[in-house]
Amino acid sequence: MVAGRLDAPNEVSSAHRHTGEPMLSPYGLDIIESCLTCKMRTERIFCDLPTSALQSFESIKYATAYPKGAVLFVEGQAPRGIFVLCKGRVKLSICATDGKTLILKIAEPGEVLGLSATVSGKPYELTAETIDPCQVNFVKREDFLRFLKEHSEACFKVAEQLSEKYNNACHEVRSLGLSHSAGEKLAKLLLEWSSKNGEANKQEPRLKLALTHEEIAQMIGTSRETVTRLFADLKKRQIVQAKGSTLVIRNKAALKVMASSN
Amino acid sequence: MESAIPHSCLDCTLRPDRLFCDLPVSTLTAFNAVKSDMVCPRNTVLFREGQPARGVFVLCEGRAKLSVCSASGKHLTLRVAGPGEVLGLSAALSGSDHEVTAELIDNSQVAMVKRKDLLSFLREHREACLHVVTLLSQDLHIAYDRVRSVGLGRSRRSRTRAS
Repeated sequence: MVAGRLDAPNEVSSAHRHTGEPMLSPYGLDIIESCLTCKMRTERIFCDLPTSALQSFESIKYATAYPKGAVLFVEGQAPRGIFVLCKGRVKLSICATDGKTLILKIAEPGEVLGLSATVSGKPYELTAETIDPCQVNFVKREDFLRFLKEHSEACFKVAEQLSEKYNNACHEVRSLGLSHSAGEKLAKLLLEWSSKNGEANKQEPRLKLALTHEEIAQMIGTSRETVTRLFADLKKRQIVQAKGSTLVIRNKAALKVMASSN
Repeated sequence: MESAIPHSCLDCTLRPDRLFCDLPVSTLTAFNAVKSDMVCPRNTVLFREGQPARGVFVLCEGRAKLSVCSASGKHLTLRVAGPGEVLGLSAALSGSDHEVTAELIDNSQVAMVKRKDLLSFLREHREACLHVVTLLSQDLHIAYDRVRSVGLGRSRRSRTRAS
């Protein structure tokens, strides 16, 4: 499914907007209709805005539900606006003409997608594809730029989000450009994931493998076969153990040595 | 080492050409009050990767090389920043460590603003905050282009040339 018309997926109807009743989308999502009543907003950088700014945002956003596998925007496309990810996860990738794909990040709820292109007016730099059913609040470019001019608090939060994205991009360049081997990159990725899960201090951190070997390969710039071989090797050396889709890091020290082998 | 750039941003004739500096007089006056001017010789390291962000550096004159480094000392140059650019913005705003090293490759004039002063300046001056958002968007585009060229062996520039 390629992003086309805004209302092509399931846009929340104006009737539902005003009744305040929770709406169930076809994708099994409980749509958060109003940012003003969203319980999660205090935990999310962009969303934690003063009431006046939130009210303005409410009037320009389109709450939309997408199924898994929907493309929000494509690399090279003229920027139409921003997408605030309320629920679900989105894969951000860049692609070569020969079809080789590099996944930069899996965006989590609270992230604003398409920000830099919308602000600068340059084409989207990445492709954004949902990997879960998602709720997304879309804001048209001209509305968003006006909103930023009128609400300095929102402008500041956008600067913070852009800073994080820039830091991530630098991290990605370092990992791709300065890592010696695919094994080193995979070890770094597994340690990173375990630290995000709050498992970093545990003796044997656990992490849920939400991506396929193909997608992990696209995250570290290698082939699916290499990732499968590396996992087999890690299991053989009892550095990791697979329990269904959960991966247990049995020997964190060995994984750290692999990650810092350059 | 002398610089042709005046010490007051209000007297600088170059500011209309520079994205961050082209600010209203009241905003510039406030900026003047929080910045410290420095004239630095080439090879000066403004900040190092992994160091906590103390503030930002506006490059008034000269150029700086932005690079990342591996534990073994292998370097990768991200880009060369030119006059008018603001260095260290993302780390200063997010409160994280610097992701890159900035080293001057010319004798340069730099205006430094401490992190705490920058944050209150941006909160008080919406115009400046908008300029910062635009600058960060541009930085991000360049960074993604670098990811593309390092990870996939191509850049926007090479694609444009190819098409």
